Amino acid sequence: MHIKDHPVLGKQLQEPVTIYFKDQPYQAYQQQTVAAALIANDIKKFGVSRKNIQDRGLFCSRGRCCSCYMTVNGEDHVRTCMTRVEEGMEIYPNLEDPEVRRDGNGD
Amino acid sequence: MNRLDKSTIICRCEEISYEEIEEVIGNGARTFDDIKRLTRCGMGPCQAKICTSLVAKVIHEETGKPLHEIPLPRMRMPLSPIKLETLATDSTSFSTVKSVLDEVELEDGKVR
Amino acid sequence: METDVLIIGAGPAGLAAALETASRGLAVILIDESSSLGGQLPQQTQLIRPLPSEYGPLRGFELAEKLINQLEDYPINYLLQHRVVGLYADGSVGVTDEENVFPVKAKKMIMATGAAERAVAFPKWTMPGIMTIGAAQTLINRDFVLPGNEAVIIGSSDFAMDVALQLMAVGVNVKGIVEEQPEVQASDNVKIEQVQQSGVPIYLNASIIEARGNGEVAEIDIEHTGTVLTEKVDLVCVDGGRSPILDLFYQLGCSFGYQEKLGGWIPQYNSNFQTDREDAFLAGNAAGITSQGAILLTGMVAGISVCEKLQAISHDEAQQIRGSLFKELEILEDKDIWESRIHHIERYANPKLKDQFIS
Repeated sequence: MHIKDHPVLGKQLQEPVTIYFKDQPYQAYQQQTVAAALIANDIKKFGVSRKNIQDRGLFCSRGRCCSCYMTVNGEDHVRTCMTRVEEGMEIYPNLEDPEVRRDGNGD
Repeated sequence: MNRLDKSTIICRCEEISYEEIEEVIGNGARTFDDIKRLTRCGMGPCQAKICTSLVAKVIHEETGKPLHEIPLPRMRMPLSPIKLETLATDSTSFSTVKSVLDEVELEDGKVR
Repeated sequence: METDVLIIGAGPAGLAAALETASRGLAVILIDESSSLGGQLPQQTQLIRPLPSEYGPLRGFELAEKLINQLEDYPINYLLQHRVVGLYADGSVGVTDEENVFPVKAKKMIMATGAAERAVAFPKWTMPGIMTIGAAQTLINRDFVLPGNEAVIIGSSDFAMDVALQLMAVGVNVKGIVEEQPEVQASDNVKIEQVQQSGVPIYLNASIIEARGNGEVAEIDIEHTGTVLTEKVDLVCVDGGRSPILDLFYQLGCSFGYQEKLGGWIPQYNSNFQTDREDAFLAGNAAGITSQGAILLTGMVAGISVCEKLQAISHDEAQQIRGSLFKELEILEDKDIWESRIHHIERYANPKLKDQFIS
């Protein structure tokens, strides 16, 4: 849930932004991180671990743990806690090692 | 003391359990780097940022070594994950590889 | 890119150091990974005291605003959303803006890279919904997002108490605080009482047996006085304490000392807040975990020391200012922390851990 009226900091969410997670639209606000925006929409599972296929989500929110890795606008392994939302952003969960040989990664 | 057993993950990135670390300590591992080389603990994307303190605690618990005698892990560049494309830099500026290997004169971030 | 002073980290220490150096005419580059200045300070909604004499008690975000506004008149080069990724052989700092990596050559560096939170491990702590206490605070006070509805907090530091109150203020039901030690770790009794009066039980000598959930955390088992307490939660905040971020110091070849009260391993430095690398100074939580007021003072000391080395002020003036800053630091800082800091500084000639870096 978005905190529209914060008890100390007031009404800070001003400009709405639409982001897409697994092709579905969700409401976010300018200045929020991708990770935060997804959590606001009750999406807490951002991906799975490589070996034991265990669910992963936000942990440190400081860009250190890399647990929040997701694919954002075609780029894999994006630290979503360090990335601000943009209108029309396309986000997919980090479910497996990316295909290294593909057009988006050059030849 | 929170429960530490074979289901407790110590290294999130490489999914190394408490049990695996306990085992290699039993086989003589004493520093973070020892444990890293034997289990892959600390070799994932976060490069031991999260597990260093957890591993130090386990070494302390298992061997009795005081924390001030457990050295830091080897830390390498880059300090956080970076794309190869970024590291290679724009070819109209200069190459990070080139400036590390050669003597390069730089002016405003561009090769002279 | 060249400059007189490169300040790495635009949190309170970096901002304080920037004021001391820029106001005395030095060319300053201030670099931070984030897209805004202030570090962790802007998300602190609690009242912060004690602060150095020139600041009254302020809320974190108010203090951050003040520190940022103080720099208005100076031509500081702000590099936001820039990261330090390494060092070149010639001593230049490798900086990236996510497009390229370029070297920044500075006569002196002040590293105010701050602290990192320590993890707390228990079965299934890696599940979504289980995050650090700092992460929970970031979500509510910076991103304006509710991290969950029913929470358990593991750890009872002053910071945990602050965040517990902040979570409750936005409607999160904090069902309990789990502390493994026999006593509450926080020292602010007013805050502890506030938390308790809000109906939050604090379990001492307690530990976590396991967390459970499918896709995200749903339950957590707490062991307390021989019984098992199961709480239904969708948020678990772990507080393992904080310790200085050391990666950059390590790359520089700095030595380290160990001080438990300061957060464990910290870069070795002297009373000028200079590391054992000639051109590298440090400030803030990177120099040992301490309170906000003390963080500001360390930033000022580092700034003054750099001004002295670059001859922006005389040695005598620097000594005089540093003397009064240290006097204030002793008053402001927790007694245990101050004493650890002095012991640490005393070890400058013979640090505990050296020659760590091998390229």
